[in-house]
Amino acid sequence: MVTNLIYFYFLFFATICCALGVIFAPMMYLSAIALFLFICFSSLIYLYLNSVYLSLFQFILCGLFLSAYIVLLIKKIGRINLRLGLAPVSKILVSSVFVLLFGGFFVLYFLQEFDSSLYSFFNTVVEKSFGSVNFKHYLYPLSLVGVFVLVSAAVLRVFLDNSLNTEQRTETEESKI
Amino acid sequence: MINALVNIGLAHFLVLSLVLFLTGLLGVLISRNMLRTVMSLFVMSVSAVINFVAFGYYCDSSMENANMISIFVLILTVIQTIIALVILYKIYQANEFLDAEKIKDKEN
Repeated sequence: MVTNLIYFYFLFFATICCALGVIFAPMMYLSAIALFLFICFSSLIYLYLNSVYLSLFQFILCGLFLSAYIVLLIKKIGRINLRLGLAPVSKILVSSVFVLLFGGFFVLYFLQEFDSSLYSFFNTVVEKSFGSVNFKHYLYPLSLVGVFVLVSAAVLRVFLDNSLNTEQRTETEESKI
Repeated sequence: MINALVNIGLAHFLVLSLVLFLTGLLGVLISRNMLRTVMSLFVMSVSAVINFVAFGYYCDSSMENANMISIFVLILTVIQTIIALVILYKIYQANEFLDAEKIKDKEN
């Protein structure tokens, strides 16, 4: 019981600290490391909630591949030791107030609307849906999503390449003039 | 009060999810580097996944619905992040920096 409690609160604060590390890290590589740790700790939270497959899925897809991709990209553009700046203090203060207000209003709305019971909220959702989901039924739409995203990424890449080439061409023409 | 802290339930995970979401939102609002903005968006998406999994664990014994939706959200998040990174790389190639305010100044 106590071990479980300590484990939960460790994960709770570690995840929040890593999320704060992603935002407030002074160097680019520290931000990337914080993101990797954030992914690891959130995978452990899924494991705590008995979602073993989801935990593994996130760790492999995000922790190993996405983090590696981000690090490689940062290395490729030579910005691994880049000092990261934040917005001006006034903007940070205004944004913090906005975020706190947003959170406060959200909690107030939730408590008022659902009579401080989270389960009643979930029941309203469940009442509107019925039956259970079969994983096999989702394989087809999942593959469709993958194909659509890959196609749109390819089209986007062509558009970006074209726009980049046009920009470079106009720049060279302007310099000639 | 102590009882509420000791008995871990759905509310704890919803609080965690809310805090992470607000942290990500703050990151999107205050960071100047666009790479960090993308990372903050990722944090926001993971907070949504934690929400789904927590609801699935406490309110649905089979966990199938929650896991299915979470996998969908995760895949879309990763793909969105990768596309955003590719766009950022192209922007970097064109401008040699990823500072949002500098790019805005350059456009003006």
